[in-house]
Amino acid sequence: MDPAEAEFLAEKELVTVIPNFSLDRIYLIGGDLGPFNPGLPVEVPLWLAVNLKQRQKCRLIPPEWMDAEKLEEIRDQERKEDTFTPMPSPYYMELTKLLLNYASDSIPKADEIRTLVKDTWDTRIAKLRLSADSFVRQQEAHAKLDNLTLMEINTTGTFLTQALDHMYKLRTNLQPGESAQSQDF
Amino acid sequence: MAEAYFPVGPGLGPEENFLSLEDILMSQEKLPGRVEAAVPRLAAVLGKGAGAGQSDGIPEGSKVEIPLWLAKGLYDNKRRILSVELPKIYKEGWRTVFSADANVVDLHKMGPYYYGFGSQLLNFDNPENPEIAQTILQTFIGRFRRIMDSSQNAYNEDTSALVARLDELERALFRAGQKGLNDFQCWEKGQASQITASSLVQNYRKRKFTDMDG
Repeated sequence: MDPAEAEFLAEKELVTVIPNFSLDRIYLIGGDLGPFNPGLPVEVPLWLAVNLKQRQKCRLIPPEWMDAEKLEEIRDQERKEDTFTPMPSPYYMELTKLLLNYASDSIPKADEIRTLVKDTWDTRIAKLRLSADSFVRQQEAHAKLDNLTLMEINTTGTFLTQALDHMYKLRTNLQPGESAQSQDF
Repeated sequence: MAEAYFPVGPGLGPEENFLSLEDILMSQEKLPGRVEAAVPRLAAVLGKGAGAGQSDGIPEGSKVEIPLWLAKGLYDNKRRILSVELPKIYKEGWRTVFSADANVVDLHKMGPYYYGFGSQLLNFDNPENPEIAQTILQTFIGRFRRIMDSSQNAYNEDTSALVARLDELERALFRAGQKGLNDFQCWEKGQASQITASSLVQNYRKRKFTDMDG
């Protein structure tokens, strides 16, 4: 999966916007989107929110976890724990990137938030690598990692599965297999 | 994103993948051995003596260095044409080096197909086979960490210093890790949504010049 595909899946997340136009309920295949009234907050999927913002038809409200103090707490907790802490949203990386790109004016302390999220990301990726290394070194049969998000899995996934493939083939060499069939002349 | 050519990877077991380019190159690596039965008139084929001509044979017991594909074809438990010796990196001395610290060895110099060739050696019955298989596995495990770290951290740098000591299998892994990293960085910069010409189409323009001239 590409990062772009993960971003596409992330765009289904709901965010709150304040539109400046009015529209009745619209009925889409994925669900209904409530009536839009200027000045009243309404929950829409992220793809629609970004689109409306680009056409200057709304104002985005950052999700409640996208706040400097909260993210600092999350980052510090991530650094303390050995395992992965649950993230406020399973798509925190994509949401951060999209919201900070398109709506940085309505998000206070945008640069700080970007730095904090990047720090948390780096810590989690480092933990992922550490656990992958210990998994390979001890030749475990299976491992369970909670609270990993799709983007993190994507970044290290290809490498890890290929390496484990190679390791599996090398390990089957250890078994004394049946001898290869040879032709008799 | 869609590649013009999807490569077949190397088979890493006792059987090679027929269609894999890496396996074909790997089986060209030379293997020292000894001829057990007299081989009449094939001196030139087995690499002995360019001036000997085709009518000379090879006496029994003489040492030859032949490619792996030839060794695999000639080796047979019953007819005893060829007996195979281990190349030195799979022997006892080097095995202890690998078990001490696998990271310091320059696997590219030692034969760029250490893992593949080692797996193929298990085809020839040899009392040291289990130890060879174990050493190959442990070497891979030991070097895994360094490959992972260097491939996932080197963004936009010259990586030739990092890959210089890796063998071909590890280089393929390194490239996979780099690709994951590059894709992520490129997405984060926003380049993922830019439309670029596909690599297939870029080659079309290069060919058109000859058509126009002709």
